[in-house]
Amino acid sequence: MLMSGGIDSPVSLYYLLRQGHDMVAVHLDNRPFTDDTPLEKITDHLRLLEARFGRKVPMYVLPHGPTQIALMRNTDRHVGCVLCRRFMWRAAERIAERENATFLATGEALGQVASQTLSNMRTATASVHLPIVRPLIGFDKQEIEAVARSIGTYTISTRPGVCCQAVPDRPATRSGLVQILQEEERVDVEAILDDCVRRAVVV
Amino acid sequence: MKYHALRVCANRGAFEAVPAEPVQLDLQRVRGGFELEGIQVLDCRVMLIAQMEREVTVGRDGRILIKSTNGPEAERLLQHVEAVLASAAAP
Repeated sequence: MLMSGGIDSPVSLYYLLRQGHDMVAVHLDNRPFTDDTPLEKITDHLRLLEARFGRKVPMYVLPHGPTQIALMRNTDRHVGCVLCRRFMWRAAERIAERENATFLATGEALGQVASQTLSNMRTATASVHLPIVRPLIGFDKQEIEAVARSIGTYTISTRPGVCCQAVPDRPATRSGLVQILQEEERVDVEAILDDCVRRAVVV
Repeated sequence: MKYHALRVCANRGAFEAVPAEPVQLDLQRVRGGFELEGIQVLDCRVMLIAQMEREVTVGRDGRILIKSTNGPEAERLLQHVEAVLASAAAP
């Protein structure tokens, strides 16, 4: 389960835990492009949901800052959010393989932000092979917020934090896979991923 | 270099200023400008993190992020950073 510290991912995790799935949380730590608050929020989200369901959700924290630096230096900033997502998915898949997980999950809901248009979701997830579960895909923001309030994660998610400084001024909302693959050729995908996963920390 | 008005960033934990026109900063020169004033700078190659009263980041695209939730303080820090950028851009 990819966790960001926002409103959606703990709600998505809540639904999957409620169905009885054993879940592993993965957080791509975006420092120095953000601050410590996402990690603090996720720790609190997990503590709350673990208490509610009476079982542990291990969390992998992977450094994503070096990936962002490589992307910002070498690729078209316009598609930076899609490239960033592709690396997040790949890193999560590596952890899933390590954990013998059978699917990946997120709190994505269609059309909420630049990275969650159908076009961008498609190009982002073309980088992985495991099935992807998105419990909130058809929810609107108000519905997600209502559930977040009822399960107690909303106040944690909405604490002030620093927004991602790697987001370009005008991120692409439509992206073609050919263009994305061409951009990715400018970086050493495997080396970046190996380094990211090698430095994973289990909390 | 002119900036749009300072605005609170989406997650409400910082203030952000965006250049009114597209720019590409020479971060090495900007770093030198900060260091001349005795301000410690972490160079992340695509942006600088300056340890002022609050942490301030300056991106290659000129975007400035001030990690403060206090408007007047952020405004004052922005003016300081703008002065550093102006001196770094001087021939």
